[in-house]
Amino acid sequence: MSKPRIAIFDFACCEGCQLQIVNLEEELLDLIGAVDVVEWREAMSEQSHEYDIAIVEGSITRPEDEDRVEIIRSRAKILIALGACATIGGVNKLKNNFDLDDVKECVYGDDAKMPHLDTAMTKAVDEVVEVDYKVHGCPIDRKEFTYIVRCLLLGKKPEIPEWPVCVECKAKGNPCLWEYGQVCLGPIIRAGCGARCPSSGFRCFGCRGYVDEPNVNAAKDVIEKYGLSIEDLKGKMILFGSTQGPTNE
Amino acid sequence: MAVKKITKAALTEWVGELVSKERVFGVQSKGDKFDFGPLTSAQDLRLDYDVTLQPPKKYFLPPVETLLTFEVSAGYESQYSDKPFVLIGVHPYDMIAINQIDELFKQGYYDTHYMTRRSNATIITCDVVNASENVFASQMKTATVKDGFDILLTDIGDSYIAEAATEKGEALLSKAETADASKDDLDKREKIQKDNEKNLSKHQLKCEVAELPGLLENAYNHPVWEEKAATCFACGSCNQVCPTCYCFNVQDDVKWDMKTGQRCRAWDGCMLDGFAMVAGGHDFRKKRADRFRHRLYRKAKYVPEKIGGQIACVGCGRCVSACLPDIANPVNVYNRLFDDIKTK
Amino acid sequence: MCECCTQEKDIYLPQIATVQKVRLMNDTEMYVRFTMDDGGFDYTPGQFVEVSIAGIGEAPLTIASSPTQKDGIELVVRRIGNVTKAIHNLRAGDKIGIRGPLGKGTYPVEHSKGKDLIFICGGIGLVPQRSFINYVLDNRTDYGNVTVLLGTKCYPQRFFQSELQQLEARDDVHYLETVDEAHDCWNGNVGVVTTLIPKIESELASSEIFICGPPIMYKFVLMALAEDSVPRDQIYLNLERKMKCGVGLCGHCQINKYYVCIDGPVFKYSDLGVAPEAI
Repeated sequence: MSKPRIAIFDFACCEGCQLQIVNLEEELLDLIGAVDVVEWREAMSEQSHEYDIAIVEGSITRPEDEDRVEIIRSRAKILIALGACATIGGVNKLKNNFDLDDVKECVYGDDAKMPHLDTAMTKAVDEVVEVDYKVHGCPIDRKEFTYIVRCLLLGKKPEIPEWPVCVECKAKGNPCLWEYGQVCLGPIIRAGCGARCPSSGFRCFGCRGYVDEPNVNAAKDVIEKYGLSIEDLKGKMILFGSTQGPTNE
Repeated sequence: MAVKKITKAALTEWVGELVSKERVFGVQSKGDKFDFGPLTSAQDLRLDYDVTLQPPKKYFLPPVETLLTFEVSAGYESQYSDKPFVLIGVHPYDMIAINQIDELFKQGYYDTHYMTRRSNATIITCDVVNASENVFASQMKTATVKDGFDILLTDIGDSYIAEAATEKGEALLSKAETADASKDDLDKREKIQKDNEKNLSKHQLKCEVAELPGLLENAYNHPVWEEKAATCFACGSCNQVCPTCYCFNVQDDVKWDMKTGQRCRAWDGCMLDGFAMVAGGHDFRKKRADRFRHRLYRKAKYVPEKIGGQIACVGCGRCVSACLPDIANPVNVYNRLFDDIKTK
Repeated sequence: MCECCTQEKDIYLPQIATVQKVRLMNDTEMYVRFTMDDGGFDYTPGQFVEVSIAGIGEAPLTIASSPTQKDGIELVVRRIGNVTKAIHNLRAGDKIGIRGPLGKGTYPVEHSKGKDLIFICGGIGLVPQRSFINYVLDNRTDYGNVTVLLGTKCYPQRFFQSELQQLEARDDVHYLETVDEAHDCWNGNVGVVTTLIPKIESELASSEIFICGPPIMYKFVLMALAEDSVPRDQIYLNLERKMKCGVGLCGHCQINKYYVCIDGPVFKYSDLGVAPEAI
């Protein structure tokens, strides 16, 4: 069996998730031994139009990016969205809370009207093309990424948690950060990160996106119990959750 | 086996010896709370703790464990963790929970993975000194424990009463500097235990614990399940901190050679979305309220039927503390049922 | 390992088996026959096995063959998840892992002797029933009248076609079949399996009735049987849930107090009164 050809592409993002792949260190050798990397701008100069698996990092923020990702989709048998920008739009979606002209002016000042600086509402990759698998997180979890790649090599659908971060957080024996005054998003955010932030004493920022059925009623109840307002909670949710699901409710 | 008395200084010395020679896990502080962890110094041991974040179940049924390794087309090999260890500071209610899971993991099919860990353990329990904010062990009749442990310690002020219950416990205790406990000492212990049997009651159950299975006979369609579950995150926190929850998932992963790998067991939770989903996508317990009900029926009806009527909630109160929307407290639910069903 | 455990075998350790034959039966179903490499495998109709594909995982599959058949153990595998997909890639000679036979709630092979039997099967529900049907046919004189009702979604999804033809041809089996969706090359009954029940109304009260099919089917068949006042202790349901561990521990297959993997998969309907989640 020939090795599957993998191409890695980036859109609007910090490229930190690709960096996580580079940072696999010894495991990177295992990875590139098991697959044939045909394009990866961050790590090599070769390019190719022929690949089996496309790994797409970043969110879609310009009309021309939509065209580009559609072409990638048409060439790939499997498309993986890599990291929060790709899976949920990520931090880039903060932009969607404002008027686009204001955003451009704020960022580019006098040059805001230059045509090459045009911008559109941020979209996650699956808002433009069909995504087969999502590697969540900002940045991605290296173990989860390699697990997903190995699953694909075996022809198996990876098991990505559908449950909230609390599951992994409690299993680690962490005290609940709500007790310490933090507005942790753990109860409504998808697990799989190993509760990395709460385990280090930082609230969950929500980088893996909402679980399939976040209980908004419960969240409202809890913020009341802790003497907070809906706005307090929403303020924490917009970083990764702008213009998505419960953030809008 | 004679009951001994050991001064606090002698206990520290004894534990110090233990940690230098054996694998020891004990209760230590974790911020302003407590948890079990590897014990490297006797000074770190906190037998005055109120409750640990995680129950000691993790030493027998770890959050993730390798059941077996495999090589594609060559076969499977069982994997065991067979190192002996000492576990210090298990509270009576947690000991009772361990006893219950022991029974479940050996009745019917015998789970060699669990039982290997279990038989490698020497368990030192201790009577509760400080009640936690949500403990209701007295209500569940689990505030004191009669068996399952190797040694039972009771803090009587300047010393501990130490009772070895097994040969393993006696061998371990013989390494400590002890004296025979006097009648007066034993009276002190009895008073502490009697007090605990009353006072670990931060939540009051309105009925007798033995009445719970009967109460649930007529509660299946009660509105309380929907009401409580309306604000359930389905986050499984109640499952994850519970000393008597033992549901698990099993997953395979391979190494990069794509040939060798391991089959692992990991904690799961009946409150989680998709827990009862079969391949093909049909979910047999899709509604949060149904899962919420299932958890409380397991605790007070389904599991008790498997373990001679013992209620599978030991009143540790961890789920009460862990539940952000404050719906998990079994006492609140059972009391509500009692009010509505029994007093009618 | 400790002394106590050396005497006990690992309940999670698969035994190695060899695939003898595979055959795609339709778009989604694959027939697999295997034999255990160490020989022994005694089972009762209704029992299941956990089929293990190293690296992928395990899937619970009810045995399709009768223990009276000696040339191997048969399965019918619907391609639906990771493991079943991997099973579809198997070829004769491949090795698989097997745990089992599992399940203590089996077809009442002894209790049913001398009685009239009705099998109501929906789609792939034919597979577990086939184990008992074939057992009965191989011990034909031990049992009374045998009636088989089969409902399939559409004609191309039928499998074991030649066996079904043989069933139909037998004088000692009353065989009725229907398809949900009419099809050009089908001139038989059209409609769900419950539409066949009135045709055997007179047999219902005196028979042991065995039901197996998709989740939705049970409710409607039981409603039909209730109309005919069939006593619940004559009705047996073969239920499917997520039997992950197969040994009554992991909790996924629980139906109220019952674990399908140890208390079932075959349940007497009268025992399910305390298990509202069953239907």
